[in-house]
Amino acid sequence: MKTLMIKTHEVWLEVLMASFMSNTDNKKVLSNFSDILFRHFTWLENEHIVLDESYNYDRDHIPIKVEKLSDILKDITNRLNEIDLQLMAIDNKALSSRISSDLYYITSVLMHMKDEKITAFNMERKYQGTILSQEATDALTLFLFEESYKEYELIMIYNYLKMHSSDSYMNRIFQILIEESFFHLKSFGDMQAQMGLLGVPRIVMKDLYQVEDVVQFLKDGINEELAAKEECIKLSEAVAKESPELEKFFNFINQQENYHIALMEDALKHFKKANNE
Amino acid sequence: MNVDAQLIEHMMNPKNYGTLAGNNAEGIGKNPENGEKVAIYLRVATDEDGEYIENIAYQAIGCTTTVVAGSMITEEAKELNFNGVRNLVEATMNILDKLPAEDAACSEMVALALLAAVETYEKRVDDAEYPVITKFVSNSCVPKENAQEVK
Repeated sequence: MKTLMIKTHEVWLEVLMASFMSNTDNKKVLSNFSDILFRHFTWLENEHIVLDESYNYDRDHIPIKVEKLSDILKDITNRLNEIDLQLMAIDNKALSSRISSDLYYITSVLMHMKDEKITAFNMERKYQGTILSQEATDALTLFLFEESYKEYELIMIYNYLKMHSSDSYMNRIFQILIEESFFHLKSFGDMQAQMGLLGVPRIVMKDLYQVEDVVQFLKDGINEELAAKEECIKLSEAVAKESPELEKFFNFINQQENYHIALMEDALKHFKKANNE
Repeated sequence: MNVDAQLIEHMMNPKNYGTLAGNNAEGIGKNPENGEKVAIYLRVATDEDGEYIENIAYQAIGCTTTVVAGSMITEEAKELNFNGVRNLVEATMNILDKLPAEDAACSEMVALALLAAVETYEKRVDDAEYPVITKFVSNSCVPKENAQEVK
């Protein structure tokens, strides 16, 4: 089942990347499918926990550089078929049939998707026709790589914490933070693809999500969110002259970080109280 | 960081990133200032000229600069013998002064992790249980002008 979870993790990300690449109605469908595959991933993770089997979030490199959408859809379909075969080895038949039914529908839709030419890897570094200064373009490039990884990392960490916690108050906060990070990851991923800079976020190291000190993790997280706010402000200022839309977007992200900080402060306060710290 | 096509390629697709199945050595480079770290995994093989790096992988808790440095240095280290690795580490350490402070700390961390992995391998020749060696960077990640402001 370990392999099954790894393969599901990989295909979830691959479908998410395909959604970033698309510039048509396919985008929304692929994005929804990636959400379904993420849920499969969490169901399989839960099964590991129920069966008391060890697992981690390691995975292989996922090649995504294609010229046509149909190229990546073929690879996704092959991966989904392989997962479907592996599901037969699971003892929990309710789980395997639930996933299998989803995979059957997803592959049938992928098969009929209209093809698209992909520009997500052309490195043109232009966003929606806006020509930014060299300095602003470089700043935006670094920000997108840094933050898209960070959002993926946060999804994995909050998901792991949620999976291993029975505290409903904390889990509510973790779930909100997962959803917030998904929104940011999708926003940044779409921008990376628009700029021809799409890349799969790198694998998250175990030390990061197998959190031993939750209090320290939350304190560090609050500081990281404060640093991210600074980056958003800097970026917003850097792009303001050439792109009022991007300026507004990064101000909006900056404001959202306030909510994340408030949630983490709330989690910190609750966790300390619940553990008499 | 000066962002050119080569750097973007390393950011989009870092080479050798991840763990390495069947590795026989590991080394860690750490920045005590901010908790960032790099782990390097080696699969060392032996031919008529001695030991060389057959395969290499790395993982990082750090910024994009660290990931890029890891991608470049591990690519260069592949198939080098241990003398070659030590020369590569030395060459990297010698250019740190010319880099911006934050880039220097990241590159140093990767170079030290590589050296630590080789040293771990050498120690394990005599003692298979020898723990993974960790080396700490001496460069500060804080840019010099900011460091002066703090003082």
